[in-house]
Amino acid sequence: MKNNIRVERAIKNITQAELAEAVSVSRQTINTIESNKYVPSTILALKIAKVFGKTVEEIFLLEKED
Amino acid sequence: MKTRFLFPNWFRYLGLACFLVHIPIMLFFSKYHDMDSKASGLLSGPHVFFIFTTLMVTVGLFFFAFSKEKVEDEHIMQLRRDSLQWAVYFNYVVLIITLIFTEHIEMGHILMLNMWTLLLFFIFRFQWCIIRNNWSANKEV
Repeated sequence: MKNNIRVERAIKNITQAELAEAVSVSRQTINTIESNKYVPSTILALKIAKVFGKTVEEIFLLEKED
Repeated sequence: MKTRFLFPNWFRYLGLACFLVHIPIMLFFSKYHDMDSKASGLLSGPHVFFIFTTLMVTVGLFFFAFSKEKVEDEHIMQLRRDSLQWAVYFNYVVLIITLIFTEHIEMGHILMLNMWTLLLFFIFRFQWCIIRNNWSANKEV
C-alpha cells in the first residue's frame, strides 16, 4: 500500500509533528507511514483522512502486490 | 491509545534503579562475606541474599521492559509485539545451543541465565527499533 500523506501535508502546509499531534500518535509513526514502512490501522487511516478533509481512498492507495 | 498490561512510564526508571543498585550490593557482599558458607535452609544468609539480588535484577529488567513509552501508539505496540516474538525465538535458539554444546554444566545456571536472556533480548531489540525510528524521523526535519 502506498500513500500520499507527504503531498497532502505540503498542500495543507503542516509538519509531521503537527499531523502527529492532530491524530495523537508520535512523529516517528507518521514518518514510518510516509516512508511506507508501516501500514496504519483503519482507525488511524480514517483519522488522517479526516485531518486532510478527504476520503481514505484519496490518501491511501492499494498496489498490485496487495 | 489504550494499552493493557503495561506499567506507567516512570517504572522504567524504577527498573533501571533496581538493576543499578544491585551491582554495588553484589560487589560489596561478595568481597566481605563468605558466600560459600555451610549455612543452608530457606532463611540462611546466602540464600536470602541470593534471592534478594536475583529478584532485584529480574524485577528491574521486567519493569524496564514493560513500561509505557512517552507516546504510546499502535506502531509502538506493533514494534513491541514483534520484538517479543524475536526475543522468544532467539532465546530458544540460544537455550537449545547451550543444551547441546555444554557438558557437566549445572542446570540451575542455565535456568538462571534463561530467566534474564528473554527480557534482555526483548529490551535490546525493542530499544534498537525505537532508536532506528528516531534516527530516520530526525533525518526528515
